Amino acid sequence: MRVMVLVKADKASEAGEMPSEDMLTRMGAYNEELVKAGVMLAGEGLHPTSKGLRMRFSGNERAITDGPFAETKELLAGFWIWQVRSIDEAVEWLKRAPFDGGTEIELRPIFEMEDFGEAMTPELREQEERLRAETAKLGG
Amino acid sequence: MRFMVLVKATADSEAGAQPTQELLEAMMAYNEELVKAGIMKGGDGLQPSSKGARVQFDGARRTVVDGPFAETKELVAGYWIWECKSLDEAIEWVKRCPNPMPGPSEIEIRPFYDLADFGEIVSPEVEAQWQRLKTEIGDN
Repeated sequence: MRVMVLVKADKASEAGEMPSEDMLTRMGAYNEELVKAGVMLAGEGLHPTSKGLRMRFSGNERAITDGPFAETKELLAGFWIWQVRSIDEAVEWLKRAPFDGGTEIELRPIFEMEDFGEAMTPELREQEERLRAETAKLGG
Repeated sequence: MRFMVLVKATADSEAGAQPTQELLEAMMAYNEELVKAGIMKGGDGLQPSSKGARVQFDGARRTVVDGPFAETKELVAGYWIWECKSLDEAIEWVKRCPNPMPGPSEIEIRPFYDLADFGEIVSPEVEAQWQRLKTEIGDN
């Protein structure tokens, strides 16, 4: 199964504070272990919400609100995508991450095609598989 | 530039409401356009937070909290990873997205950090390690 690992923001990340060299080194070593174990599929840090925006969808209306956004501890600062056997395995890996100082990380299982039931027709399934193959070729 | 495009949760997505076939088809057609344009690098739906967990980090302490989580409109229900020329281009593409939810919804756009953004604190060793790991996970 795949999970998304969501690194929540804090005041420091929203202020655009850089991680220390020590943290970058420890995170590099942790990512190395994740890649070696075949767990890490992707991972990135996000610029603070002051560099982002939100778009609201309502019927045919689209309304844009520029960042920054207020609810700091619910904002996203970074993510990984992991391949694991279970949520429990993901939790065990996550406990070993070099975070401290009040960080919160959320784990969410990713929908696979089987989860969508009958609405995922054979034609849609075929299209989905083709798009994923093309996306992989694009170096995603 | 790379962006994370986040589909925020709603009461419907948190209740595990399945998308209709109509929405799946519209979203698949949209993803097809994104792939054709060379923009889409990845994308997934996340299962409701009732299927997820959070790990809190405090010094050496790790506390696991099971979902569901309360702050529905701040939760993430899905994401894409896009490569665009600018934030404006990403915004134009988000405007064309079919509403991902049955009612009003919100999409957040966040630029990725590049290693270059961290400046001098990135040692040559960390930079080389970063490049090597990116290559190993196929994210070139």
